[in-house]
Amino acid sequence: MTSTLNVLKIENLSCNVSGTQILNDINVTFEVGETVGIIGPNGSGKTTLFNCISGFMPGISGHLYLKDKEIIKASPSTRARLGIGRVFQNFGIFRDMSILENMLIAFEGKRPILTTFFPWAKMNRVHKEQALELLGRVNLAHRASEKASSLSGGQMRLLEIVRLLASNAEVFLLDEPTAGVSPKMKDEVVGLIQSLIELNKTIIVIEHDINFIQRFCERIVVLDGGKVVLDDVPEKVRADPRLQEIYFGKA
Amino acid sequence: MLAFFTSDYVIHLLILIGIYFIVAQSFNLSFGFARIFNLSHIASYAVGAYTTSLLATELNFGILPALGIGVLLSALFSLIVGGIAVRLEAEYFAMGTIAFSAMVTALLINWKSITRGVLGVPGIPRPVIFETALESNTQFLIFVGVVAALVQLIFGVLYYGSFGRSLRAQGEYENGAKSLGHDTGAARMVSFILASMVGGLGGGLYATYVSYIDPSVSSFAEMVFVLTIVIVGRPGSYWGILVGSAAMILLPEIFRFVTMPSEYLGPLRQLLYGIVLFLLVYVRRANLFPVERKL
Amino acid sequence: MSILPQLLLNALITGGIYALVTSGLSLTFALTRVLNLAHGHLMMAGAYSFYYAYVQRGWGLFPATLFCMGSSVVLGLVTLKTFVAPFARYSVVLALVSTLAFATIIESTVSLIFDVNVKSLMVGAYPESFEWCGVFITSLQLLIIGLAIVILGILAFIVHGTGFGRFIRAFSESSVTTESLGISKSKVMGIVFIVSAMLSSLAGVLVGFETSLQPTMGNAYTLKCCAIIILGGLGNLWGTLVGAFLLGLMENLLVGLEFGSFSIPTGYKDAVAFVLILFVLLVRPEGLFRKRGRAAC
Repeated sequence: MTSTLNVLKIENLSCNVSGTQILNDINVTFEVGETVGIIGPNGSGKTTLFNCISGFMPGISGHLYLKDKEIIKASPSTRARLGIGRVFQNFGIFRDMSILENMLIAFEGKRPILTTFFPWAKMNRVHKEQALELLGRVNLAHRASEKASSLSGGQMRLLEIVRLLASNAEVFLLDEPTAGVSPKMKDEVVGLIQSLIELNKTIIVIEHDINFIQRFCERIVVLDGGKVVLDDVPEKVRADPRLQEIYFGKA
Repeated sequence: MLAFFTSDYVIHLLILIGIYFIVAQSFNLSFGFARIFNLSHIASYAVGAYTTSLLATELNFGILPALGIGVLLSALFSLIVGGIAVRLEAEYFAMGTIAFSAMVTALLINWKSITRGVLGVPGIPRPVIFETALESNTQFLIFVGVVAALVQLIFGVLYYGSFGRSLRAQGEYENGAKSLGHDTGAARMVSFILASMVGGLGGGLYATYVSYIDPSVSSFAEMVFVLTIVIVGRPGSYWGILVGSAAMILLPEIFRFVTMPSEYLGPLRQLLYGIVLFLLVYVRRANLFPVERKL
Repeated sequence: MSILPQLLLNALITGGIYALVTSGLSLTFALTRVLNLAHGHLMMAGAYSFYYAYVQRGWGLFPATLFCMGSSVVLGLVTLKTFVAPFARYSVVLALVSTLAFATIIESTVSLIFDVNVKSLMVGAYPESFEWCGVFITSLQLLIIGLAIVILGILAFIVHGTGFGRFIRAFSESSVTTESLGISKSKVMGIVFIVSAMLSSLAGVLVGFETSLQPTMGNAYTLKCCAIIILGGLGNLWGTLVGAFLLGLMENLLVGLEFGSFSIPTGYKDAVAFVLILFVLLVRPEGLFRKRGRAAC
């Protein structure tokens, strides 16, 4: 009987693309409000794992449960509506749209399609207010009508994350959130992630920055060669000799 | 039974298979090997056909020299097309070559002083070899067979030699081939011109066989037909194109066994070709054209 | 020179029809990165469905329009589900070949059901042309221009001013990101393909009334749409509109005007589009209006 505290459960997940086994029998469970870090050398399958959870990978087998609901066959948009939010390595921002539009589209993703044809409906005004409020939290409200392409990397990342608050995501898949962000902005990004934690969101982060992982993650999952090698609290993972092996090879 | 196999109609079909094989195998060089989706190939075919016909009928050239000049003009034509189009990516390239093809058709129809427009060019003679005109179809079949065999031989050398290897490498991963020193632009251009030349040869052969051509030789329907042959035979395959040509020429023969008004025959054949093409591309979509690596 | 205003008017009429039919292609291309080479054939098929209802069966304008729109819905969905979507994961060349096959199938089927002869939708007499500001125009032509402006205006509003338009623009930039926000790709694509087919059918019906229909007309229109899209920049709706009218202008001016004692024979009218495609590809492949076209992942 699965515990009702589990928000995401990955069971026997394997992913095979054109003959290459990228993920091999992954088993991980995430609880509500947990902050988990995923680390591993390049090519170990971290982003692929995220793609499997988001629903963008073909050729996968196994089970995926979101709040006890099997979603392995669900489309990416269905999974998003059920609460999975994704931040992409290359900034999933629509550069040709304004910053406000980037927010609005997150609100609209949850609405039935036919309602999106009428820009004069009350719902739109409400969304606009909420969008501006969220943008205010990251200091972007005054730039709402500018094109998103004018943002710096760090600001884009802030926008991406705060946008997920608009779409009511509960499980946040953050793929290297501090990559491509200037050191000054890093603190702001980290601050934003911290506020997510305070909202009791489940955060799963792929990161290379070991300090970041140390500060926030209650648990670390180590991937290597498509398999879960370690899954434990940070102190134990750090102390494990296998970690050195994975990154630097046997002495 | 033997009488059936030597009957005139069978010989006619075999000639057509031979001619279309030549046209399709040349298309295969650019489409199957170099992965160039050149939809103006049929225009090269038409250029060869019209050059051969007009030289033979208006200027009394012998067919063999006319064929030769037709081939050269097709090469020239492809230089123009290639110069513009070879640098473009998939969608733009397809559009550009279709546009070229459509332009050739428009010219063939409208430049009446040279091409006689929709009236076409009648009275194209058969080739004369060693003082004998190849009037009988059996003689012509042997002629086409010899040409086809030569084409196959030449392409065999191309496909299995280093040139073919280079084309296949850049078809799959252009930057990889470049980083190993291959001049991909030049190779593609060369394959483009070669394909066009042989296509023009096929056009000339067709013209001298049927003795009458009109602008429909450059039609889009013809291009789709040749494309279907290559897809049936599998793009990049050496012998598969022969199978494809035979299959596509023989396929509509099933209509012989069904009696129907003649105005249905043309569209019905078209419909058959379209369905065959789609089914093949659909069923084989995972294997047909691996996506080129961009990085 | 006195024929210039008339030529300009004709350019407006042709341009309007081109704009209507091309906008559909622009949208489906922006969404899928697949150039539907059967697009002109969808226009032709839609027009023939109207022909069936209005001329052959004698139904009224309104029921015939409903029937035509119904067929467009079917055609649009078939285009998407059968001939475009299955090839999404594979090389774009396969999708192009698939649409080529689709075009062949449509053309031959229409030729079989209705014959290959030229047909007109105008059942009664041609509307009278009346003089207006020095040019002659018929009520039908006025309708064409009016419809083009209104419908395209609505389309532009939807794409740039509504949430749904945001979805389209988002998908054309990155389909993966858009899906991860909960927006259903299949629903948006379905709606866009249906609307595209409807717009093309409308354009086809107008052409059927104004001039004539023939099963072979699909190809020429597909090419013209391509010319317009290249002119205006792939994926750019405004550019498409301007390009459509530009093409209409060029076709009518280049063929209608006299340059001294030389004038281009009318048979070459269609060729204007072809030359345009090649010229633009040679000189400025991004089109006249630069818009960053990003492949939908």
